Amino acid sequence: MKKILRKKSFLQWVKRLESYKIYAPMKDDDFWNFALINNPKDLNLNHSNTVLSPKKIIFPQREVILEFSTSNDSELEVKEILPEEKASIIFGVRPCDARAIPLMDKVFGGDFTDPYYWKRRDKTILVGLSCNTPPSSNCFCLSVEGSPHSKEGLDILMTDLGDKYYVESLTKKGDQLINLAKNLFEEPNAKDNKDLENIHKDSEKKIKRQIQDIKNIPAKLKEMFESPFWDEESLSCLRCGICTYLCPTCHCFDINDEIISSSPLKGKRVRTWDNCQFPDFTMHSSGHNPRSDRASRLRQRILHKFQYFIEQYQNYQCTGCGRCISKCPVGIDIIEVLNKVENYGT
Amino acid sequence: MVNLEELKENAKELLKQEKVKYIIGYKRGTNGLMPVPAFIKKPEDVENLIWDPLCIYNLTRFLVDEKRKKAKQKNPDERPVGLIVKGCDSRAVNVLLQEKFINREDIYIIGISCENTGVVDEKKLVKKLKGKKVKKIEFGKKNGFIVSTEDGQVEVPSSEILAERCQECIAHFPVVYDVLLGEKPKRKPDNPFKSLEKMESLSREERWTFWKEQLDKCIRCYACRSTCPMCYCDECVVDTINFAVTADTTAEEKAQKIKWVEKSPVLSENFVYHFIRAIHLAGRCIDCGECERVCPLDIPLRFLNKKLEKEAKELFGYDVGFDPDRPSLVSCFKEEDPEDFIR
Repeated sequence: MKKILRKKSFLQWVKRLESYKIYAPMKDDDFWNFALINNPKDLNLNHSNTVLSPKKIIFPQREVILEFSTSNDSELEVKEILPEEKASIIFGVRPCDARAIPLMDKVFGGDFTDPYYWKRRDKTILVGLSCNTPPSSNCFCLSVEGSPHSKEGLDILMTDLGDKYYVESLTKKGDQLINLAKNLFEEPNAKDNKDLENIHKDSEKKIKRQIQDIKNIPAKLKEMFESPFWDEESLSCLRCGICTYLCPTCHCFDINDEIISSSPLKGKRVRTWDNCQFPDFTMHSSGHNPRSDRASRLRQRILHKFQYFIEQYQNYQCTGCGRCISKCPVGIDIIEVLNKVENYGT
Repeated sequence: MVNLEELKENAKELLKQEKVKYIIGYKRGTNGLMPVPAFIKKPEDVENLIWDPLCIYNLTRFLVDEKRKKAKQKNPDERPVGLIVKGCDSRAVNVLLQEKFINREDIYIIGISCENTGVVDEKKLVKKLKGKKVKKIEFGKKNGFIVSTEDGQVEVPSSEILAERCQECIAHFPVVYDVLLGEKPKRKPDNPFKSLEKMESLSREERWTFWKEQLDKCIRCYACRSTCPMCYCDECVVDTINFAVTADTTAEEKAQKIKWVEKSPVLSENFVYHFIRAIHLAGRCIDCGECERVCPLDIPLRFLNKKLEKEAKELFGYDVGFDPDRPSLVSCFKEEDPEDFIR
């Protein structure tokens, strides 16, 4: 379904969606982040890249998965806690962040479906916004099979045409949202369609950064597991978790019991994001650490995204948002690393 | 003014004569505005070295990695590491020397003047230029910076883009070094605790509200810990499993291990993490401001450390990082201490 929405009608549309929880980018001093919108007036789609991707709404950094306690007769009681989410809409999702969600679907779906993830995922509607100008100087979506107007993972893609939005619904969920305010939408005319095409074409030209030739990289990486390359590239790595916590596709998690009282026993089992750059990531209880230094941790991040994920799911596990590049405290640049991989040993 | 060619020449000689293992300095990055740390091993690579007002990083942090790496080597290269330091960074070297974390002979210190100003605050600069791309940034002759963009050159007064910590700097020039580049600037002594005034004027409730809001944002990426040259503990209190666990540790011992901080990024745990860090930095933080700079969520962490620096100064007359032979603040006491519990 393809429609036109005047910008002056946007607020009215959002008001009609009051039965949903609405998330959108909000500005907090100097940066943007996705937040729950209480007043539709706060909604503003002029955002640059948000610090954290909307991944945090579908796959929160912390969630309680069960509670346990012992009663007086020492009987252990376990209560599963499943998220009881109201249907939500996320506005202003950048196409790179949207593409990350089907990648997470693969991880949390497949042979074992993760109920905690899917409870939220099934009830979330993603309304994207094309990037007419790149929201970050380190955007490189075109290098990883994406684009600034990619529809993948979205229910609706909106494109700013100046005084109006071109609104393309891509799923039934998307149609529902438009149907809730049918009278606000118009049919696109030939000029709108032409404008859309031009804007999309232009937006691709504005992406300045790119990986030279990604096709060879998975095979190349496979040969480089033991290479001293990783020692060199990780020299300045601080072992902080910015790159992976800000990544829209990183999905590793840890499960811990948080004890509230030891006698009588009472506590919660909690799932939190985990981070392959931390010194205790996947450390064995024997004391053995399979990734004991910075080099092996950087290698893990790159190989997971550009080799293992391709082998397992036939996709790169990177959508080119550029957050890990822009926010790295020491300027480790995944594009540069991959370009060096491409040229390594030749 | 610091002459970059002189810096390169110095570095080249050190490497040629094999006096140092490698040199840690600054080079151009590929990800935008900021320079990145450079690890220069070959004399010909000194050409990559740069020096400009965006050379913000405190490179002392990398001495921690060097020490760890060396400890694992069977026949380590015993030559020192060359390290480029500004005034503030040199005080961090002194703290590491004072705490016997590093030996003086393991480092060759190239002290460098940050001229009449100090370094630039990246965020202020980006705001000031409103999207224009910086081609080059230099120290001005007087009190400012010369910024070149595609629109040409402009002189920006330091009051507009200088890092706050530089406005409050108490050591404008390296205090420990093997070689010095540039002249000692004639800067007026600033009020070192000016940024705290506003915070201190708030009531306890207002401060509590402020910190609740700020620390609630924390995602516990530990960038603040990771970039800090003083956060060198092998075993950090926040890590869930740690290096004390070996093959011989019994299941019971593991189960008994106290978990001080949960991994959950919730307010209570975030408070514990940040306060433990702040307390551990009392009398050790030299205000390089790196923790605040690297925070992806802009938590004003400098306030915490600055406040403790002030406490140390006012209660004990203690200035951090000037004398490596002085006992460190938290590991000494005086008999004339007015508090009874200390004796």
